Amino acid sequence: MIVTISVITVTVVMFIAMTKLHHRFPTPILLPIVTTTVASVVVLVAFNISYDTYMQGGQWLQKMLGPAVVALAYPLYNQRELVKKYRTAILSSIVFAMVSGLVSVYVLTLLMRLDEDWILTALPKSLTTPVAMQVSESIGGIPPLTAVLVMVAGFVGAIIGPLIIKYGKIESAIARGVAIGSASHGVGLTCLQDYGEKELSVGSLAMGMSAVTGAFICPLFVYFFF
Amino acid sequence: MKVVRIVVQIAILYVFYMVGTWIVEQTGLPLPGSIIGLILLSICLHMKWLNVKAIKEGAGFLIGVMTIFFIPATVGIVEYPELLSGAGAKLIIAVMVSTIFAIYTTGLFSQYIERKTKKEEQL
Repeated sequence: MIVTISVITVTVVMFIAMTKLHHRFPTPILLPIVTTTVASVVVLVAFNISYDTYMQGGQWLQKMLGPAVVALAYPLYNQRELVKKYRTAILSSIVFAMVSGLVSVYVLTLLMRLDEDWILTALPKSLTTPVAMQVSESIGGIPPLTAVLVMVAGFVGAIIGPLIIKYGKIESAIARGVAIGSASHGVGLTCLQDYGEKELSVGSLAMGMSAVTGAFICPLFVYFFF
Repeated sequence: MKVVRIVVQIAILYVFYMVGTWIVEQTGLPLPGSIIGLILLSICLHMKWLNVKAIKEGAGFLIGVMTIFFIPATVGIVEYPELLSGAGAKLIIAVMVSTIFAIYTTGLFSQYIERKTKKEEQL
């Protein structure tokens, strides 16, 4: 009981502090998910606390992932007019991004001769974390490892994404939003704020929609290729 | 009052999540229960069976603080020190290259489809 309350309290306090830090210095390296994770790991290692002990409190926070994913229906509902207008371009691109990401990571990990459970772990990398973790679990991957790879994909989108847009001559707002949103979810989206509202809203839409399509396509992909 | 409203609305979202989980258990669908819950909620909002006001603040709150709910999972990395090994580095490189590839090809594809649709509109 004391452990449970302390873990939750310490995590919440750290998270609030790290969020403030990120507001003051808005660089992707200081995203609260990165800093809070690092700080938590340091505390666990420094005080020799096992992950099982930590999870006595952590599981309560993790339980809220489910309703948080359900809540994504709200922004999707808000943007329904935008989807209607650009539905062909957006929907086909989201599916394209999904397949492009899945096939490329599958081929790369195969060439690198990685173990099958690691390959499965990497497949949902382009989905938003809670969905990616749940998909990872359902296809036989390692959810915490998937969460780390999701962050890697997010950082690539946020930091390298603008370079791809610039040198790859991606000039349409919808293309920018859909590419970043469906390949590198919310973390990648942070870079779209520099472009405009159109990019950003299409991007968040793509993130939400690819979470749904990915939840269908990833298990199907595993069904056919494993 | 606002706090009560947010708590009640989160409870509504939680019910959708539980129904989604229940459907997955019953049918053996290879999908997370949360996604089924998301789809059910979208249908309910779209068909006006549920007013968006009934979940607006709860959903806004959950999405706003969503990051904290993944912390326990990302902290789980302490259980996987092998990620710092050679194979771990390979895995990370594969994800990076694949993400760059997906962003570039999707950008080009989306741009192509958009131009094509615009041309068809003009005809």
